[in-house]
Parts: sequence; C-alpha cells; structure tokens
Amino acid sequence: MLYIKNGIVVDPKNKIKAEKMDIFIKDGKIVEEKDVKKSECKVIDASGKLVVAGGVELHSHIAGSKINTGRVMRPEEMRYVRLVAGKFRACVGRILMNAPAIGYEYAKMGYTTAVEPAVPPIGSPHTHEELDSIPMLDKLALPVFGNWHLVLKFVAEKNIEKLKAFIAWALERTKGFGVKVVNPGGVEAWMYGGNMKSLDDKVPGFGVTPREIILSLVEANEKLKLPHSVHLHCNNLGIPGNYTTTVESIKLASKFSNDKRQVLHITHVQFNAYAGDSWRNVASGAAEIAKAVNSENVTIDMGQAIFGPATAMTGDAPFQFTLHKLLGARWSNKDSEVESGAGIVPIAYLPSNPVHTVQWAIGLELGLLCDSNKVVIATDYPNGGPFTEYAYVIAMLMSKKMRENELKRVHQYAQKATVLPTIETERTLEEVINMTRSLPAKILGLENKGHLGIGADADVAIYDMNPLEVDTSSEFEKVYKVFKTALYTIKGGEIIVKDKELVKEVWGRTFWIDATKKVDPSLIKQDLEDYFKYYTVEIENYGVDEAWMRNPQRIKVV
Amino acid sequence: MLVLRPKTKFDISVEAEITPELATKNLKEIENFQIYCGNRTLKLKDLFEISKQGDEKKILLEGDFSKVKYIGFGMDGGEIIVKGNVGTHCGALMKNGKIVIEGNADDWLGAEMKGGEIIVKGNAANLVGSAYYGDLAGMSGGKILIEGNAGNYIGDKMTGGIIEIKGDAGDFIGTEMRGGQIIIHGSCGFVGSDMRGGEIIIKGNFELLPSFVEKEGFWIGDVNVKGEGKIKKLQ
Repeated sequence: MLYIKNGIVVDPKNKIKAEKMDIFIKDGKIVEEKDVKKSECKVIDASGKLVVAGGVELHSHIAGSKINTGRVMRPEEMRYVRLVAGKFRACVGRILMNAPAIGYEYAKMGYTTAVEPAVPPIGSPHTHEELDSIPMLDKLALPVFGNWHLVLKFVAEKNIEKLKAFIAWALERTKGFGVKVVNPGGVEAWMYGGNMKSLDDKVPGFGVTPREIILSLVEANEKLKLPHSVHLHCNNLGIPGNYTTTVESIKLASKFSNDKRQVLHITHVQFNAYAGDSWRNVASGAAEIAKAVNSENVTIDMGQAIFGPATAMTGDAPFQFTLHKLLGARWSNKDSEVESGAGIVPIAYLPSNPVHTVQWAIGLELGLLCDSNKVVIATDYPNGGPFTEYAYVIAMLMSKKMRENELKRVHQYAQKATVLPTIETERTLEEVINMTRSLPAKILGLENKGHLGIGADADVAIYDMNPLEVDTSSEFEKVYKVFKTALYTIKGGEIIVKDKELVKEVWGRTFWIDATKKVDPSLIKQDLEDYFKYYTVEIENYGVDEAWMRNPQRIKVV
Repeated sequence: MLVLRPKTKFDISVEAEITPELATKNLKEIENFQIYCGNRTLKLKDLFEISKQGDEKKILLEGDFSKVKYIGFGMDGGEIIVKGNVGTHCGALMKNGKIVIEGNADDWLGAEMKGGEIIVKGNAANLVGSAYYGDLAGMSGGKILIEGNAGNYIGDKMTGGIIEIKGDAGDFIGTEMRGGQIIIHGSCGFVGSDMRGGEIIIKGNFELLPSFVEKEGFWIGDVNVKGEGKIKKLQ
C-alpha cells in the first residue's frame, strides 16, 4: 500500500487542475482513502510536487524485426554504453537502444505504457519475445493490415463480414491490440516496384484502391467495436506536396460516427504534412491539416523531429527506398511474405539543413494548431528521434520564448516556409499532461490508464515542480529539466524510480484484444485454408499462444 | 616518464586505455589505474611492472604488448614509445601527440584518428586509419608512417591526414575515401572502390578497378559514385 501525500495533482480526464490531493494505492490500483490503513502505507511526501498519471506512449517502434534490423545495421549505435550491468541489465544504444534500455529510459521519464505500432503479422512471435524483454512498461502491439493479401481480397469482394472475422482471427493469432494500416496498397505495389500516389490508384493484382482499403477497415473496426480505432500511416509519406493526401484521408472519417472515441487515428503526421512540389521548395502544410483534424472525428500524433541522429524505419518500404536514394545512406528492405514490408535508413536531423528545420517546425505546428484534445506528443521513435527528448517537445509547446530562441539557432528557411514563428499559442500544463497521458489512453480505449481516478491502474509519475509556482512560459529551462527525469515513477503500485534513479525492475503486461466471440470464424475458414496452402508456415504454427508470453492480458470485446 | 613491463606473457587480451596523461599522475593513481583482462577488472599493477621517472608526459612500453589493446586510445598530446609489438586499436581516435612502435602493430591502428603521429618500424595489420563499422568517417587528420608492410582495408572512409607505407599493402585500399592521402612505396591489391576524393599514390603494382578513368597520367574515380578521387603513380 502506498500513500502519496500532499501532491499537486493534474488529471485532465477527471478535470483536476492542479489541486492539492492525496493518492492511495492498493493492489496495483488507485483506491479511496477508506480502502487503506494509513498506518500500513508506505508514505511518499509529494508536497509541492507535480503528481500525474504515468505517461502513455502511443506510437514508438520498440520491438520486432524492424528495430532489430536497425540494430544490426547500425553497429555504431551499439557502441554507446548507457548502463553497465549490475543491479540492472546492461543498456546500450545512442538512439536505437536495446530492450532493457527502452524500458528503463521510459520509466525514468515517467512513462509506464507503450505501443509498438507496426508488427509484421508473421513476425509477431519475435515481436512478443522482444516486448517480453522490455521491463517497466505495459505494452500493446498493433499488427499491420493494409497490404495483407487476405485483406485486399476481402476488400475487393466488398465483404465486410469476412473482413471482421479476419481481423478478429488475426488479432487473436498475433496477440495484437488494434488495426494498423501502413501506406495502404503501396507496400503491395512496391513488391512490383511501384507505389500508390493517390487514394484512387489501383493496387496491382487486386484492383482495389487505398480509399477502399481504409474505408473497409474502418467500417469493420467500428462494427467490431474495438477499443482502438484504425491507426493509419497515410499514403505518400515523406513526399513534398503530400499534405493533400493526408487531408483527403482525414476526411474519410466523416463517413463514420462514434461518440466514445475517434474513428481514425492518423499517425506521425509531421511526415505527411509537406506542401510544395520538391525538396527545394518544401513548406509546411500543417495549418491545412490542423483545420481538417479539428473538424473531423480523428486524432493524430505529432511525429516530431528532434535535431540529432535518428533512424527511419517504417513498414512503408517504397518510401524507405526513396529516402535511401535521397540521402545516399545505408538501406535495408524487408518483404514480409504477402502481408507487409519494411525498410530502414539511418538519418540525422541537422538545424543547419533547411528541410530538416521545416520538419522540426511542422511537428510543433501540429502540436500547437490542433485542438489539444486531438494531438498526442510523440517522435515516432526512432524515426523522428529519441523519445527521451519529449521534455524538449513539452517545453517548446509551452513557451513562445523558447521557440523564439530555438528559431534563431536553426536555418532561417523555417521563417518563410512555416507558420511556427507567428504562432502565439502556449500550451498549459494541463494540456501537455493531457497530450501525454489522458488523450493517448482515450485514443487506445484503455480506461484504466492515463488518469488517477479511483480504479485506475496505479501508474503514477511525480515531477520535481510545483505547478502553482512555475511560470511555464518563461521558465522553459526548468520545465525541460523537470520533464526529462521524473522524481518518482510508480508502476502498478511499485516504486520503480526514486529520486530520479532506477530502484526496481518490474515486468508489465501485454494487452491484446479478443474479438473472436463477435464473429463467425467459419466465414473465412476456406479462405485461410487456401492462403496457408501456399504459405511458409502452416496455420497451426502461425502466430503466438498466450502461454509463450510473459504476462498476457486478454481484453474481451463484447 | 612512465615505464611499463608486462609481468607475464598474456594468454588472453588485456584492455588498457593507457595514454601519456597517465605519466603525469602520482604513482598510487597509476598503480590503481583500471584495466580489464578477459572478463575481469584489474589494476595496472596486477599485470605490469611500473616505474616512474619524473613527470614528463611520456610512456615507455617495454616487452611484448601484442595482446594489449587500446594503447593510446583517444590520446591528446604526449608520447608513447613501444619497444616491441602492440595490440589492436593502438592510437585509435587519437587527437594529438606521437606513438612510436618499434615492432609490429595489429588491426585498427589509428582508426578514426584526428591528429598526431604514429610511426611503426615493423609491419601493421588490417584497417589502418579506418572507420569503425557503421561510422561515416575514418581517419581525418594526422600522419601514420609504416616502415614495413600493411594488411587489407587501409584508410577506409578516410577524410584527411596521410598514411604512408614503405612496403606493400593488401587489398581494398582507400575504400569510400573522401580526402587525405595514402602513399604506398611497394605494391598492393584493389584500390579506391567507391572513392569520392583524396589521393592514393602507389609506386609498385596495383589492381585498378574498371570504374576509374585515365586522365593526364593518373586515374579519376570511382565513377560509380561520381567520385573525384585520384590514383597516381609515385615517380
């Protein structure tokens, strides 16, 4: 039992704006005062400190074949030693960290939940093995659907019932949490050397369009009433002028309604928000996108670029090839059977480079121009840079003065190609806490995460700052320092970080969605048999069983 | 000056980042300097006889150091003299100062070196002045002189400085080189693949890749990467 005393609580979901409160924890849950015996509680004195829910990472490539290929490709990353083995496991990696380092770094930052947002379905055993090696966090994995042959087949047949049955089957087999779509149709076209240039291009061999794929998957997802919406990585990522495709994709959401949550989540939008027609005249399309986001039932995450080294790794194989040609950097391509693909290219964002400066500015514009209840802070780790710099993003969103200082240091092309210098908005503490906690939990449909109400999971972060005394607009250096490392992190009721140091290693759960009871599996029996007749593995050997996982947590959809 | 002699013949590698800076410290600090032998963490005095003569920023290594890695790693000034052979990574990342090796040097001699001078009286092995795997630039300044022969992969991704080899060298000389100079007085194998800049000057025989174009008595390439590196004959 834990008793967090006199903390200044900010909890946007429960509409608590910086109030002095006590928090009680029992059996890994937040409980009422009467449920605990104060004399038996371990007391944490949080007087004058900021107490918030543990952070929820909505989009971060932390496990699976992509980051692992990245590690193999970048031996120079592995020479950076973070922690020598002792009480805790050895940690290496500058940006591409090893599994324990990812868990520890998130915990030190006050984060307790993370989503691996692109699992190649056939790679799901590997992904779960690796998620099971990440300590400190609760984890979720999103398998990719947008280029899977069976999905394309059912979309071509316009058979939503089969698609629903297939999604339920696939989530059960891959122990996935939701439907991720990467460059719908484009990765399939890439297997013939092509790509999808608009929402109405035809996918070779299937005759379906990205528009049809997105609409069908959203429809099936909504009919299944999955906790999370479709998680979309739009077509034309990383191509100047692509913001129009993104706006079109956002507008597809108008065909659906859901009063509980968004119907479509668009991810790492920074990479999909370029105006102009070449890298020579690239500009920000963030304002147009923000307008569309604010008027539709969609949410986004930023995909903020952080200056310094990064590694581009997406399931968007054709884009990765384009990037490799553009930079002349190393490149690895992956074709995952007839399900998906991926590519990896090392990159570094430089403040002296006009294009990188525009990318850096676009992320911040999205964070400032979109409704604060629609945009989540994320760097699309490791594509935009390390997640360890979220404190920088938070401080930048909260201080106009800090943005002015930073704009002086970067390439002046940003002044004319973006609107960042003209934005006056300064996010409040409550807004950034929402953007890193309550909102991502709501987007994922995790009711017990991202808040400190009674019954919530006891994931708590305490920061060394009194929100009633700090002027976040002018004291941006302090804000950065405070959010960089949490004073305390509590995961499932256990103190894992104390006085900014790791004190205990814990193992979180892996949430997965079981929607198999909502569908008729016999609908797709014949299709699966035909599919697996020509597949690398037999259907009996495909996917992940719960018994193999360290700590699976089934969420049944009814 | 600091003089070190191995107490025994080492069967497994010793990792000791000995730099001339060490010679300026007091004897106690020197004796307790942390080194590694296999998976054990040891002190300098456990494996070496130590004698200190004055505070001069100079180290004399007497005996067989061919199993001792990382000598002069990242050193910034001063002098190291090795009276014998030396192990891998000697003088890697060094910024300034001088290393004289009277015997042979092993792999990764002067890898990613930024400045200073290394002289090898015997032979050197592979990867002299190269980039560590994954890094974008190898040697960027300073000078490496090898009086004997050298192995393969000399000056990989080199961007500056000079490597001079009095004897022969192996294959893959100056791969992905962008600047600086490699001079070989003997013969060598393939040179300059994916070279973008810099010069390779050879006196003896060598294998030229078809991706180099002859121009006014020397060759320019590698045309595969639109490079402007030069390969010349030493007159």
